[in-house]
Amino acid sequence: MVIGPVGAPGTLAPRPLVAMRGITKSFYGTLANDGVDFDLRAGEIHALLGENGAGKSTLMNVLTGLYQPDAGEILIENHPRRLDNPAAAIEAGIGMVHQHFKLVQNFTVAENIHLGWEETPRRAGAAALEARTQALSERFGLPVTPGARVADIPVGEQQRVEILRVLARGARVLVLDEPTAVLTPSEVAALFTALRGFRADGNAVILISHKLGEVLEIADHVTVMRGGRSVAQCPAAGASRASLARLIIGDLPPSGRAVAAPLPDVEPVEPRADPDPLPARDVADPAASRRPSAPPGIAATAGAGPSVPHPAPTMVLREVSVRDARGVTLLDRVSIEIMPGELLGIAGVAGNGQRPLAEVMTGLLAPSEGELLLDGASMRGIGPRGFASRGVGHMPEDRLRTGLAATLPQGENALLREYHLPPSTRFGWLFDPAGARRLARGIINAAAVNRRDPSIPARNLSGGNQQRLVAERETRISHRLLVAAYPTRGLDVGAVAALHAAMHRLRARGVAVVLISEEIEELLDHADRIAVLCAGRISGILPVAEADPEKLGLLMSGQSLASGAPVSA
Amino acid sequence: MSTRTTWAVQRVPEVSGGVRLLATALSAILALIVAGIVLRLCGLPPLALGARVLHASFGTRFGIEDLLLLASPLAACGLSVAVMLRVGLWNIGAEGQFFVGATGAAAVGLFLPVGGTGTTLALMALAAAAGGALWIALPAAARLVLGTSEIITTLLLNFVARLLVDFLATGSWRDARSSVTAQTPRIHAAFAKLPRDWHLGGLHWGIALVIALAAVVALLFRYTSWGFELRVCGANREAARYAGMPVGRRLAEAMLLGGALAGLGGMIELAGTVHRLQGGLSNSYGYVGIIVAVLAAAAPVGVLFSALLMAVVLNAGTVLQTQGLPASAAVALVGLILLFVAMGERLSHYRIAVIRPRATPAGTGSAAAASGAAE
Repeated sequence: MVIGPVGAPGTLAPRPLVAMRGITKSFYGTLANDGVDFDLRAGEIHALLGENGAGKSTLMNVLTGLYQPDAGEILIENHPRRLDNPAAAIEAGIGMVHQHFKLVQNFTVAENIHLGWEETPRRAGAAALEARTQALSERFGLPVTPGARVADIPVGEQQRVEILRVLARGARVLVLDEPTAVLTPSEVAALFTALRGFRADGNAVILISHKLGEVLEIADHVTVMRGGRSVAQCPAAGASRASLARLIIGDLPPSGRAVAAPLPDVEPVEPRADPDPLPARDVADPAASRRPSAPPGIAATAGAGPSVPHPAPTMVLREVSVRDARGVTLLDRVSIEIMPGELLGIAGVAGNGQRPLAEVMTGLLAPSEGELLLDGASMRGIGPRGFASRGVGHMPEDRLRTGLAATLPQGENALLREYHLPPSTRFGWLFDPAGARRLARGIINAAAVNRRDPSIPARNLSGGNQQRLVAERETRISHRLLVAAYPTRGLDVGAVAALHAAMHRLRARGVAVVLISEEIEELLDHADRIAVLCAGRISGILPVAEADPEKLGLLMSGQSLASGAPVSA
Repeated sequence: MSTRTTWAVQRVPEVSGGVRLLATALSAILALIVAGIVLRLCGLPPLALGARVLHASFGTRFGIEDLLLLASPLAACGLSVAVMLRVGLWNIGAEGQFFVGATGAAAVGLFLPVGGTGTTLALMALAAAAGGALWIALPAAARLVLGTSEIITTLLLNFVARLLVDFLATGSWRDARSSVTAQTPRIHAAFAKLPRDWHLGGLHWGIALVIALAAVVALLFRYTSWGFELRVCGANREAARYAGMPVGRRLAEAMLLGGALAGLGGMIELAGTVHRLQGGLSNSYGYVGIIVAVLAAAAPVGVLFSALLMAVVLNAGTVLQTQGLPASAAVALVGLILLFVAMGERLSHYRIAVIRPRATPAGTGSAAAASGAAE
């Protein structure tokens, strides 16, 4: 990819400080980086954007020496460099600050700064280390308390310690992964001031972020990645939130793999498939897998159809909030109604409350506040077993850690929801191995897992087959509601199609389906309504006919829609 | 493509039960060979000593009876460890639970004035089970509430239990009429000997009780939904919680049952063999029980067999002692076997594949011919 000298405004550095050329890296046959070119100039803050799984982290791990690329090279000031390990990267002046800090909690700030640093004086007392730390802190404009234990200082200061650690080792390129995710607005402002100072000294910053507003505020340049490729590089000055959101989600025709030109401003998004108002879908037709029309009840939910008799919602969340043990809010006053036979999509950048939402809806987490009703009955004090017995199935986002006991045979995993019921168990306690085995075989066969022997450990199945097994097991018990979190992650095309078909079969039977996904296309193709989660809140709910990638992208970045776009309650 | 024959180590994801059993047996034999080499270096004849051990264990009726008497507390402790392994927890404290169980049984036997031996034995068993369960209740609570590692807590309580027994046996429960100062008076309620015409006259009914306990645990594991839940809790607690199982409760139940089983082991040893509470009641049975359970892969019936094996090893220790080796030689041998079996378990997942060049004289044309060498 070539970037014209038109590049960064102000600076006209002829050659980049760091140039990554044709970086390719695959994991188990999946291309995480596919011939990625990336240029970083001295004196710029360069934002790296993309959905989860777009390949940003892999690219940065290659740059910081954690991964070795399968192909491609890294040039630092025009000289090819091999970065065999993180130490080599630091030596080359590249330092990374991870999203989850890697500090020793029980050590002081000064000790953490000096830990594993060859310039640390051999025989230095605490006072000497603290004095050195104080000097570094003043030099880089990052205020820290050298004598404090890391466990006792606020998160924003921990981040400054982490940055200081990297800068003290002579980094000229600072890689920051989601640095503002944990910061308060005033801490963000302080961080940005420090970054601008760093830039003014002729250094460079790579900023991985999902917050488009921040990116436009601080970045000079933007690179967007999608599907393991670099799909766009442009100056931040010409971009808008909407244009960036569109590049990230990928509504542009994927003809040119690298769009090097400055981005034109927003074009009207081409309507995907026109929202053809199909006549009421034949309930017996399970093959309607593309763009179904709104099911009965949507109008009622939107409050627009007073004459339609209201079917009772399957599940109601009323002002549900969840806080974790430390009091951090995971879900913030979420209110949703899910109608029978409705496929509700949940969009949003991962980590914005999807997991707690799925867990609240399936009884794994109790709401800290608010109320959850299933078929009109309060579910207070009822656990996951109670939810399951009332017809709520759950395909969890992490199937190997939550959905399956990986070391146990697939047969036992198939029984996870029904081991305590006939024919596996009689009289409520007497386990019948023969009956259980028959049931397990039935579930495995119905799941169409490629290896039918029930005694194979679940971990020896491929990811797709594991998911088939979980999907079959959960759809069997989903009489009222199925909550599916990222169910198609890592699946091949055939498995994805089978999964979507299964969800539509449930939906046709009047079962409500909640589909949590990062893939906008998947939601637009299959959902009846799409709710967007951002920072634990529902930032909007749209009927699918009114949704498009741009609107969803804005909602995902936490903004409300402009006045033109209606947001249904 | 290289022109020379090369070989590579490959990992095999699935290993059949037969291969695993073979790996265990081979590992144990290798450990014995290493022990033999060490003995040889010490100037002792390993083969003659081995023959002597076998003769002492299996050569006479008394030897076999001794072996079974030794195996029964080992099996009880092994069961205790196996039950907790089922939920993925390590009971390093079977030794302590064994002592406290014996203490409870001794308290009933010494101080409860009831008539029939049967009633007394039943009450002793109850007290022993309660004592063992009590001894693990604190580690269980710490594990469930605070997440404290049960490995540390159960281990440390062993020393407390041993000191408790010494305190009682040399103190208030001491046998005043005997010249031996560190034991209680004889407890009269005892297990009856097995019938004479079974030709195992030295054995008592406590051994049958151990076998029955193993059978009950095996049935609980296989034929109750409770047993299924323990298995899932042991494999993946997160998945168990997701499936709606009461994970904390199941862990607590497994721990208490484990403690009770070790406590029962103490009662059986007390009422069957030793008849007095004393510090030497356990010959490290609780610790060897860990190995018994591991060798049996935590299968309750398998525990009976691995307990027999470990009894032979402990017998070997006695024989070695007569040859001037320290008593801890047996413990070293036990450790060696565990080490080798653990390595064998790992290595059984690998095989050596021989990769031959294309131009083989046989003209098979196959690039790689694999020969499975499981160890």
